[in-house]
Formats: sequence, structure tokens, C-alpha cells
Amino acid sequence: MSSTAISLVTDATLLTLTLALASLGLAVVFGLIGVINMGHGAMLTLGAYFMWASIRAGIPFAPAAVLAAAGVALIGLALEHFILRHFYDRPFDTLLITWGFFLVTTEIIKLVFGTSFRDVPSPLPEAFDLGFQRVPAYRAALAAFTLTLLLGIAFVFYRTNLGIKIRALVQNREMASLLGLNIAATYKLVFVSGSFLAGLAGALIAPMFSVHPYMGMDFLVRSFFVVIVGGIGQILGGTLVGSFLIGGAETFFAQFSTQTFAQTVVFALAIIVLRFRPEGLLTPRSGQ
Amino acid sequence: MTAAGPAPPSLGRRLTSSEDGVAVLALALFALLPVVVSGYSIYILPQYMLHGVMAMSLALLWGRGGVLSFGQAGFYALGAYTMGLCYRWVPLVNPAYAGMLIAFAVGGLLAAVLGYFLFRAGVRSAYFVLVTLAVSIIAEQVAVSQSQITGGWNGMYIDRMSLTLGDAVNVSLFDDAPMYYFVLVVVVAVYACLRWLAHAKFGKVLVGIRENEDRVLSLGFDVSAYKTATFAIAGALSTFAGALYGTHAGFVAPSLGGVLFSTEVVVWVAIGGRSSLLGAFLAAIGVSFLSNYLSALIPAYWPLILGMLFLAVIIFFRGGVAGALARWTRQPATRSAGNG
Repeated sequence: MSSTAISLVTDATLLTLTLALASLGLAVVFGLIGVINMGHGAMLTLGAYFMWASIRAGIPFAPAAVLAAAGVALIGLALEHFILRHFYDRPFDTLLITWGFFLVTTEIIKLVFGTSFRDVPSPLPEAFDLGFQRVPAYRAALAAFTLTLLLGIAFVFYRTNLGIKIRALVQNREMASLLGLNIAATYKLVFVSGSFLAGLAGALIAPMFSVHPYMGMDFLVRSFFVVIVGGIGQILGGTLVGSFLIGGAETFFAQFSTQTFAQTVVFALAIIVLRFRPEGLLTPRSGQ
Repeated sequence: MTAAGPAPPSLGRRLTSSEDGVAVLALALFALLPVVVSGYSIYILPQYMLHGVMAMSLALLWGRGGVLSFGQAGFYALGAYTMGLCYRWVPLVNPAYAGMLIAFAVGGLLAAVLGYFLFRAGVRSAYFVLVTLAVSIIAEQVAVSQSQITGGWNGMYIDRMSLTLGDAVNVSLFDDAPMYYFVLVVVVAVYACLRWLAHAKFGKVLVGIRENEDRVLSLGFDVSAYKTATFAIAGALSTFAGALYGTHAGFVAPSLGGVLFSTEVVVWVAIGGRSSLLGAFLAAIGVSFLSNYLSALIPAYWPLILGMLFLAVIIFFRGGVAGALARWTRQPATRSAGNG
């Protein structure tokens, strides 16, 4: 294998896992309770800014990330409790409300933090040599963390009582409620977990990008395509496959042209996938 | 909207009791405005009216058909670039005529193809929003990256159009007032067509699709064809309005097609009232005017206020201003026949 091919694979893997991390919160909220969270991008941005503020306040990296994620989770809780929970039976309105949340949050971020670019220093600034390619240590660590996080979520989902409850809710809301599951509380828990994951992702990707009020916007549509291409409700495999297809294709096409053009091509491809497999690539086809 | 009673109301009653009266009044005021006012307002209003045409196209699509698009500004920018390219590449006929026609045709065709591709497969309306969001991102990225054609970030300059008829007639629209009246005539024509369409069988089927898609389907209507046609009409109109905007503003940059402007259109329509063409039109003008004025006065707070207004409308007044007014003026007996 030529060294270009190896570096292509490495790049694609790292981008895949970054995208997977950025999409996880959306995959949880959209996949499990069907809320099309257009505010996902704003939650990523919020996480990044909270991270920046925590680091500046002198908090070490890991607690700062948890703090940032908790802050976003708190905001998600407020959004869910005061507004969203009254609209679960009208999914299209939740789409509009979360978009309004994006508009308002972005403006508040601009007011509080200003519009100039901020930098979160990387805790692992060095790169290590794989023999054939140098890989930034932070990106590699983040990729490993993302895999662990995915496994952890899969464990909760498939091996705990809570996971059974959530899966019951996804499969049949009425029946789950008749069997005594507290639907409202489970919805709330899922939405807040999704917000936490989005905030955590924003905090952790902050050192790799410049932090600015629209940084989450770049991830919003890509995250949606990751979730839809991978398959709604397929938290583990779907997110990975979706991220791989979106991120891998982007890396691949960027070899032949610019990053912008690659993204355009990938969006077009994602629209085509959406057309032919609206339930995602991993979801088994229901008999038609 | 007027819930169709047994007998259609007389013209006089319609003018006093429904949107038509307000429309006639508003458009008459717009026609009189240049007599009283001059200067910047007369220069800038046609641009806002063209924004209003785009808003009306979205009101047809969203308010009637229940199909929301986050990509109308992508079409608008496409129209402006089309107009600019026609001025560069079409030397024989009046480039503005070519620009308007080509913009209308290209926008309509593009929307028809995209709509056919997606609606035929029964793509859910929420997914359709995401696709149109991607479309507006693609529009902006193409405008940025194809810089040898579009000028990239620097944008593209476009000449102000003239009205010509052979060699005999040549009316320059370079001055503000003639351009204003030309755009006003276009706006009146578009409004009349859309109003007719909304009240014709086509519009009624659309409302049916919005209210209960499965039932309309089981009544034998080709739902996806109706949605495709509506999206094509909205796309053609937005692109056409964008072409006129281009020649009026004299300049187009990639951000005209971007996500932020696209969703601003959604905000206008939501505030004005998604089921009212006139409400959407007036809200586009009003909010654009306020934006222009207040972003000089309170630049940091105005977008925040607008966002909160949008949230408030979605949560509390789904009909927007037009819906609230209609409910307020209507007889209590018919109040339940509500806005969607």
C-alpha cells in the first residue's frame, strides 16, 4: 500500500470518529425520541464556548469538558421542560422550535462571548510517529475516546434496565406507557442525555477548530446526514457507518478537489441515499 | 381564510371582510407612496417587495402544502447570478428579459427535478427540510468555489435593467421611481396569480394534503405530483424574484443564498402568517425594513429579538399576525374554522 493510501485511511478514520462524536447527541435525540433537533449545532457551539470559559477560569481539561457538557445539559433540560415537552406529538413544531432555539442561542453567544474567534489550547499538542505518518496525539486520543463512549452507550442501551426501558419506548410508546413506564421522564432523560453528549462533543472538538458562533452550523447538516444515512435509532453501528460514509467520502473527494467541493458532492450523495433508503442503510427493509 | 360557505360572498362584502380588501388597500398605498416619499425608501422598497415575492412563494409551499423549505434563498441567489450571467453572456436581446425568463425556467426546472426525485419516494416533510437546508449550503458553497464564474467571495456586479420593445421603446429603469413601479406591477401580478391558484381547486387540494395527506391520497389525488408542482412554482417564483433583485441591487454575493438568509425567509413567513400570502408579503417588507433600521440602532440585540419573536410565534400564535387578525375580526360562530 502506498503511503498516500495509508494516510488517506488514517485521515478518514480520524474524521469518521470526530463526526461520530459530533453526531452522537443528535443520534440519541433524533433516533430515540424522534425530535429533529435543529438546535444540535448550537449545543455543540455552546459546549465549545463553555469549554473555553472553563479553561480560562483555570479548570483542568477533563473536568472542564464535563462541566461544559453539564452546562449544555442544563440548558437542554430547561428547553425540554419549559417548551419542547408540550410539543412531542407535533414533531414538525419541535423542528421549528429547536431552530428558534438555534437562532436565539447563537445571538446570545455573540452577545456574551463576542464574535471573534477563540482558541482552546490542545492538552496534547505533540504528534506521534506511526513510522509512515505523523498523527496528532489529540486527534488520536479523541478517536479512542469516541470509540469508548460509543461502547459505553451501547452497554447502557443493551445491557441495563434503563436501556430496556428506552428501547421499549422506541418500539411502542403506548404499550410501554401501559406497562407502567414513565414516558415523560424517559423523554426528558433522553433529551438531556443528548444535550450532554452534544455539549461534550463541542467541548472536545474545540481544540481542533477555532471556536466561533457558527461553528456548530458546519456540523448540523453533516450530523443529520450521518444519522439518516446510518439509520435512525441505530445508535452504535448506524452512527459509525454514517460517519464513515460521510467522513470517508469527504476525505476521498477532497483528494481530487477542494474541501468545499468535496462537501458539496457528499451532500448530494447523501440526498440520493435519503431518497432510496429513507430509513437508513443499516435498518432492515420492512416488507413493502 | 374564508371557509367556503354555501354562496360566495359579494365583491363588496369580500373587500371589507377578507384579505382581499387589505391587499387592495396595501397595494394602493404602495402605488401612492412615491408621490409622497422619495429618496432611500423608494430605492430600497423594491428589494423588500422582491423578498416579499419569495416569502409568498414559501407561504404557498408551507402554509398551503405543509411543505417547509429552508432553501428558498438558494433559488433567490441562483436567480440573481443568472441575471448577472445573462448580462455578461447574452448580447443580442435585452439581457434582462433573458435573465428573467431563464431564471424562471431554471429555478422551476431545478425545483421540479428535486421535488420529483424526493416526493415520488415519499420522503417525509422533516427530511425535506434537511434536504433544502443542504441545498442552501450547496448553493452558497458553489457560489464561493466557482469564483471564475461567480466572483467568489467578492460577488458579482449586475447592471440595472431597461425595458425595451424592439428598437422603438427603451425605458431605462435606472432611476428609483420607474424601477419601483415596475417591481410593483410584477408584485401585483404575482400576488394575483398566487391568490387565484390558492383559491382554485389546486389550492384546496394542497390544503387537504397539509391537513391529511393519506386521506387526499385515498381520494385518488396524486399527492406527490401536487407537492412537486407546488415546489416547482415556489422555486420558479423565488428564482425569478432573485433575478429582479440582482438587477435592482446591482450586486450579488454568496451569502444571499446561504442558510442564514434562507431561514430568515422562514421567520418572515411564520411571523406574517404562513397561511396568508399577503401576511407573508407584508411581513417580509416590514421585518426587512425594521432589520435595516434597527440593525443600525441596536445591532447586537435585533437578531435576538427576531429569534425570540419567531419562537413566540411558533409556540403561541401558529397563524402569525394574519392568523391572529383573522381570528380577531371573524364572527365568533365561525372562529373554530381555524388557521392551520
